[in-house]
Amino acid sequence: MPELSRDGRTLHVQAQGSGDPVLLLHGYLVGSMATWYFTAAPLLARTRRAITYDLRGHGRSSRPALHYRVADHLEDLHAVREWAEAETADLVGHSFGGLIALHEALERPASVRRLVLVETPLPPTSMTGIDEFLSLSPQEMLQSLPGALEAEVRAGGRRAKRFYESITRLVGHTSLIDDLRAETDVPDERLASLSLPTLLIYAHESPCLSTGERLAEVLPDARLLTLEGGHYLPVESPVELARTIADFLDG
Amino acid sequence: MTEPNRAEILETVAALIREVVGEEWAEEVAIGLSTSFSADLELESIEFVALAEKMQDRYGEQVDFVAWLSEMELDRIIGLTVGEVVDRVVQCLS
Repeated sequence: MPELSRDGRTLHVQAQGSGDPVLLLHGYLVGSMATWYFTAAPLLARTRRAITYDLRGHGRSSRPALHYRVADHLEDLHAVREWAEAETADLVGHSFGGLIALHEALERPASVRRLVLVETPLPPTSMTGIDEFLSLSPQEMLQSLPGALEAEVRAGGRRAKRFYESITRLVGHTSLIDDLRAETDVPDERLASLSLPTLLIYAHESPCLSTGERLAEVLPDARLLTLEGGHYLPVESPVELARTIADFLDG
Repeated sequence: MTEPNRAEILETVAALIREVVGEEWAEEVAIGLSTSFSADLELESIEFVALAEKMQDRYGEQVDFVAWLSEMELDRIIGLTVGEVVDRVVQCLS
């Protein structure tokens, strides 16, 4: 498994294709590089180097007990960018992954060519129903996921068991939820400084559409597109989403 | 060039699956051509990624496993049987 090691931790990373780099970041809890690996990544890999990785705590990256703030995730992103030799890159992020991408673009605008934010809430606590969702048991969380995801995790089977275990570990044994709640907003004045071309992709049934609308208004060079579906667009509409992203990055 | 040996390829793929899963039951379970990744083995999508990585390492450019998977919908990938993967390898190596 391709991996980076740093400070006794590992990050599971993967690159497909060759050319200009695009980094794809997944979302929290139910996400992993699998979110992008079989859909958007190979499509983009036809003309670019598509880099995916598991965020700390997720997939096959290691799971520290503490340090799940955006700043901590940015350290990992920098390590991945260095590994991939992606000094200038396109960034694509789903949900919390989009938040990391947005912060990277704000901090290092010269290093980001284009930005795609899919179903990204800012701040994360502004997402409708987030409090209720985070206080659910792993079983209830599973049941609240859209059909496409829930089908992946047939009740009582091995996948369900592994899902519960990973959610339980993340929620119960790391600071991820506390750190998520502590993430603050980014003021409009700061957002207004982000002049790189940005595509905002949100769902018709999005629980964070208000963020999409706000960003569309405040970011100098941004466009909002809404697709059929809910928060988990990469799972619900993988092909359409992949094509939309590829068209924008190629455009 | 010799004809690719289906039985050998099945053995290799089965070994890679067992490595990916890394759990005791995987050592004992029978993995044959009709074994379904989803219904029988219940691989998670992240384990699919790990298997794709190992297939890529083992068979490289000749098979381009990830490109093959990328042409399928996710439910089709999850519904694959080991036999379909073996067929693909045989086809590419022939």
